[in-house]
Amino acid sequence: MYIEEDPHNIKAADLVVGIPSYNEAGLISCPTEKASEGLVKYFGDKNSVIINCDNNSSDGTRQAFMNTSTEVPKIYLSTPPGVKGKGNNLRNLFRKSRDLGAQAIVVVDADLKSITPRWIKNLAEPLFEDFGFVAPLYVRHKYDGTITNNIAYPIIRSVYGRRVRQPIGGDFGFSGELAEIYLNQADWAPSVAEFGIDIWMTTTAMCHGIPICQSYMGRPKVHKPKDPGESLGPMFLQVVGTIFDMMIKNVEFWKEVRWSKPTAIFGFGLGEMEMPPPVEVDVERLYDKFQAGFADYNTIWGKLISANLYKKLGEVKTLSLTNFEFPANLWAEILIDFAVAYKNGLNNKKKIMETLIPLYYGRTCSFVIELEPMTIQQAEDLIEDQCGVFEHAKPYLLKRWFDTK
Amino acid sequence: MKKILIVDDEEVIRMLYAEELEDEGYKVITSGTGHRLIEIIQEERPDLVVLDIKMAEHNGLDLLQDIRKEFYNIPVILCSAYSTFKGDLKSIAADYYVVKSADLSELKQKIKMALEGHVPTHPPENEA
Repeated sequence: MYIEEDPHNIKAADLVVGIPSYNEAGLISCPTEKASEGLVKYFGDKNSVIINCDNNSSDGTRQAFMNTSTEVPKIYLSTPPGVKGKGNNLRNLFRKSRDLGAQAIVVVDADLKSITPRWIKNLAEPLFEDFGFVAPLYVRHKYDGTITNNIAYPIIRSVYGRRVRQPIGGDFGFSGELAEIYLNQADWAPSVAEFGIDIWMTTTAMCHGIPICQSYMGRPKVHKPKDPGESLGPMFLQVVGTIFDMMIKNVEFWKEVRWSKPTAIFGFGLGEMEMPPPVEVDVERLYDKFQAGFADYNTIWGKLISANLYKKLGEVKTLSLTNFEFPANLWAEILIDFAVAYKNGLNNKKKIMETLIPLYYGRTCSFVIELEPMTIQQAEDLIEDQCGVFEHAKPYLLKRWFDTK
Repeated sequence: MKKILIVDDEEVIRMLYAEELEDEGYKVITSGTGHRLIEIIQEERPDLVVLDIKMAEHNGLDLLQDIRKEFYNIPVILCSAYSTFKGDLKSIAADYYVVKSADLSELKQKIKMALEGHVPTHPPENEA
């Protein structure tokens, strides 16, 4: 449940913009102002409200949000002290949106620096037409979003057959009807209560036959990008763990899927494409962390993945950084073996996920090396090719999933 | 028999594709222009459209948007002599993008994949 500050005593709203946060006092004013401008400019005929759903931040996030000057009324919600997690914040947003009778809900990250009022239009407008879930489409630097590019996008595309380029983009739109579906789900695992929420929302929408579109934001996402080798933190475990949990839950849906289908696009005609700011990646550190994984997890890997893949992995280990390559097809099949091991609960799930991290570093190292001479468009082509590799591995997934108990 | 509509302003391409795809067991119809494309699709109900991008009178990417507005689920394969249009976000709305080549094996493979493609539109019966 939540703690609430609602100075305008708002009882109903057609359209809600939610901003989940934890200690974002320095940045939350920007998305709050832009959200208000977007709501006034494009949805002046609707009752709107902006809701900050917070984790009881100690840095003054609540004050920064409530003190931001906006034409649109604001509500502050917080989890009780000690309860953290983006998923818990969004669950509070779902509840509050239901109570307000909202038709459409938009979520934008609190650390967004590049948001414009048009983002609100593009994420919300399809919800008043035929769509129930809107994912963002924006240009990102080729080294930004390595979990998206190497895991979330190719797996979701090959497993569920829907091409949603940013399935964990953090900025979404969804209908009030879908918010109700989210609230009625029983699988609020701890990872969903935290960073697993984004992929859980996208996957749940797909598996409930909700009409999905991707909305072009027109500007790159500028937030706090991170070097993937510097600090992976709990995000990796929660996102990938949620992907695997959802595969277990939704097997009856995805076992029927063959290949993939494009997803509708909304929001063209926004002028020249802006280039995203550069992201620095320390390739040597990724390589070293991959190599260190052999010392820690070699024996476990031998039990988790098939003998053939384990042999190929041993070959990759012998490659120097200059010639390093972790092929996409090997990566796809290793991820499948990990998903199957996770399903079968060999060892324990948390340990399985931890042992995947050095392999992810290895694949990311190879990916960054391959992308180095490429333009953003060439990088996109490479990511599309990788998705093709994952789609062609689907028979391997089906065989392993149903043959291995 | 699956029906494929080829839209390309080069007659030689239309003839080549038609011959090769008919040999693969498809029924092929062709159009040399994007004019009346939506009406043709309504009348002929093809199972798949192979669409050129750079045509004398029409831009295939704009035609793709028109198709998607009316027939969201029909598979469309963009087929162009140029790979640069891949960079246009509008191309994402296509099922596949194939760069033209004298060897049609990639186009045939993508046609097969697009026709085989299946994504359920409703949750399984036992789901809420």
